[in-house]
Amino acid sequence: MSTDIQIAIVGSAGDGTIAAGDILRRAMAEMGYRVISFDLYPAEIRGFGKCIARLRVTDEQAYSLKPRSDVLVSLDDSHAIPHVSEAREWGAVIYESGSVTPLAEGAHISAHIDPGQIPYHVPIRELSEKSTGSARSRNIVVLGYIAGLFRLSIDGFLRALNSKFKGKADIAQKNEAALRAGYEEGARWFRLDDIDFGPPPAKGAGATVEMISGNAAVVRGALDAGIDNFFGYPITPATSIMERLASEMPKRGTRLVQTEDEIAAISATVGAGFAGARTATATSGPGLALMSEMLGLGIIAEVPCVVFVSQRGGPSTGLPTKTEQSDLNIAVYGGHGDAPRIVIAPTNVEGCYRCAGKAFEMAEAYQTPVILLLDLYLSNRYETVPFPAKPPFEADMNSYADTRGGNAAGFKRYALTADNVSPRTVPGQKGGMHIATGLEHNELGRPNDQPDNHAAMSRKRHEKLQLALKHPDFTHTKRFGDEGKVEVGVIAWGSTFGEALEAMILARAEGIRCAAMKVVMIAPFPTEAVAAFMADCGDVLIPEVNYQGQFAGILQAHIPRPVTRLARVPCEPMEVGDILAEIRRLAGRTTEQQAA
Amino acid sequence: MSSNVRHHIVIGSGVAGNQAAETLRERDPDSRITMITISRLPFFNRYDLPRVFRGERDWRRFIIYPADYYRRNRIALRRATRVVGVDSTAQTLTLEHKETIHFDSLLVASGAGAYLPEDMSEFRPLLHGFGAFRDAIEVADALPKKGHAILLGGDTIGLDLARTLLDTGHRVTLVAGPYTFWPHEVTPEERPKYVAALQKMGIVVVEAQERGGIAGVEKGAKGLAARRITFGNGSDLSGDVVMPFFGVAPSLDFMLGSGVDIERGLLVSPNLRTTNENIYAAGDVCQIWTDSEHRYCFYHGWKNVRAMGELAARNITGANEPWVPPQDETLRLSKDGKIQSPFWEYQ
Repeated sequence: MSTDIQIAIVGSAGDGTIAAGDILRRAMAEMGYRVISFDLYPAEIRGFGKCIARLRVTDEQAYSLKPRSDVLVSLDDSHAIPHVSEAREWGAVIYESGSVTPLAEGAHISAHIDPGQIPYHVPIRELSEKSTGSARSRNIVVLGYIAGLFRLSIDGFLRALNSKFKGKADIAQKNEAALRAGYEEGARWFRLDDIDFGPPPAKGAGATVEMISGNAAVVRGALDAGIDNFFGYPITPATSIMERLASEMPKRGTRLVQTEDEIAAISATVGAGFAGARTATATSGPGLALMSEMLGLGIIAEVPCVVFVSQRGGPSTGLPTKTEQSDLNIAVYGGHGDAPRIVIAPTNVEGCYRCAGKAFEMAEAYQTPVILLLDLYLSNRYETVPFPAKPPFEADMNSYADTRGGNAAGFKRYALTADNVSPRTVPGQKGGMHIATGLEHNELGRPNDQPDNHAAMSRKRHEKLQLALKHPDFTHTKRFGDEGKVEVGVIAWGSTFGEALEAMILARAEGIRCAAMKVVMIAPFPTEAVAAFMADCGDVLIPEVNYQGQFAGILQAHIPRPVTRLARVPCEPMEVGDILAEIRRLAGRTTEQQAA
Repeated sequence: MSSNVRHHIVIGSGVAGNQAAETLRERDPDSRITMITISRLPFFNRYDLPRVFRGERDWRRFIIYPADYYRRNRIALRRATRVVGVDSTAQTLTLEHKETIHFDSLLVASGAGAYLPEDMSEFRPLLHGFGAFRDAIEVADALPKKGHAILLGGDTIGLDLARTLLDTGHRVTLVAGPYTFWPHEVTPEERPKYVAALQKMGIVVVEAQERGGIAGVEKGAKGLAARRITFGNGSDLSGDVVMPFFGVAPSLDFMLGSGVDIERGLLVSPNLRTTNENIYAAGDVCQIWTDSEHRYCFYHGWKNVRAMGELAARNITGANEPWVPPQDETLRLSKDGKIQSPFWEYQ
């Protein structure tokens, strides 16, 4: 990559840190760069806690944030000081040169800048006050400074700024003044760092590149797949899915209902799915727990529907604004009885789009609830995504029964077929049998508790899901890195795959034979593909952001082979450096060997 | 501070400051050492700046100690940081951003900045400095191939630069005056032979006095050289850059009001201690009492300054040794008529 710059802005809630990160990523995407970004913020609204906006700007789409930033900006030294070491050697540290109040020794960030880092001490507050009459635009001054310092187009920033504050002319005007003041300041500074923004990539034909968050991509996928109904109850970090759908669905004549709780949401979702509509709900771990009984109904009644689940730290209310991958077990196994379901977990924002659309296809094709498993990191992170000109989703994958002239009383809604998928009817279809029972039933849909019947129906519900492993135009698993035998293979799922991939690339650059596999289809488990990959690996490393190593547990239930679990709960995404260190350890490389 | 660990603060990260920090670390291994500098760069060789005209533009190649040196020696290097006040009684110093730091010993090694005579100050925006790396790059950018540099004053730093400019194919004109050869003291009788030596080097020497003194510095007219110097007699001189070399002035504003004695520089006894027992000074910022001269004297040059840094650190850590200048400061001509300044010998 000729451009690979990561910028981290650290401030306190209320400093405009996240807003600055948002404008910065909009500006960079506007200029044509590829972007991946992720914000960390506290649960409180203002005045407490640390906010960090991280943004990686590249000319080819990156898979994760880098372990170290090229530019670190402090909007609040008390929060930024612990992060100074995040700026790399010869990287830039941009900070407020003054102080309003007297400081004790070490309270200013300049006391913590490493000799290898380049300090940029900027009168941020003064520039804001001079240009706008208040210190509130310090975050915008910093953006202007970055643009000026690195000779980036101020027009891109202005467009991003105006887009952000559309309809708020007074705010936009002041912010433009602050941006220009920062730009002029940055442009006159002598640069000592080695940070170079190369030209943005040329725009390709056939696809439009847009900067979008994971949740927004899910929404886009759902809309492009033709979602008819959405029922939901807000919960962090899934809320923005419903918010975005609420603004989009009415324009398309489709319906969204905010229900009184999660149980109502899943009940309505299963009901609408039963009625033949493409329907989804969205929730997080606590909501999924509430939904588990009704999901069971969807499974036994073989009703297509989609549940978007964005994980956060748990259990219970847990850590609402921290990312975690600890709802995998409940997604795959949650609920009573033998209740198989499809669980897919995208690994990046583009995957969120594709998986969301494909989830509706799978739900219809295999007549079952499908859980699309995200996490806060993936839901809230932004990436530039090339969207295809035509949505790559099938509009209808139902196996509707032809009941014309048929006898409703004799219609076998749950017929045992060769592929275990039964012809389906929807309420109102003449000649069909419209049953949605939670009781075990026979092929006709009538209650039946005989052991042979229960065994047959259980087999049917499990076996039909194997079809999902060959669902067309869907990436179930994918291998990256060295072909053939490797010293270390990294298997990862969900948002952690980006970090795993980055670590694998770095390990290969160090001479370690290494490969990585992403697993998107988690249930049913793609045993054959994963086992084939593992057969090539000397050691298998599974990094994931949960305490138990939940994915590793699922994998080992299917493939009984030792693996190394790197299971951590750092309340942040897994660090590339941690995965890389483990790869080195497994490959028998010492730190000294790496240095050499 | 109640800690038994002594905190040594060094203001300045030049030759004297870095030598002092190194010696302090050797002699007081457990101490805290903080080095404060307004520069954004780690210690670099200012005397090597003419290399910029040979195409070396990466400042990292001018660095004397890598970043790891400071980490290894536990020297907290605070760059881009300006000291605005020193309270010698409370043993604290205040930084521009209102941070207060306590010290057990303070070594002022803040050096000196380029001196610009008062009557030249109004032309400052049109002059190119040469004290910082950025200055050197800007001069190099402003000076075209075979371009013409006009040096005003002509101290030894400027004459050193002139040698490089000539070697790299540029033209050099020196507007000479009382600061020419500074800090060497050249008698009127000796001056012609040294001026002749400059001319032999290829420098065009214009005596400002003969032209009625420098009247002004202007931007050159469109299509002509970027700068024009006018003289009192109406004559003029055009060049691509105009650079002042009138010697240096100690950088010690922050010491005003500190309670220690100041003349032109910080006054120190032969053991480099100021009038406060916890504050020492070294390098271009201080004037040392010199018995043989019966006055406080400045001592310049890399070797002298480095020796001062080492001596100050030794005396801070318990020695009580007097200053003995190691460097002969006499300007000489070699047998083949070339100027030889000991200030051009460094490392």
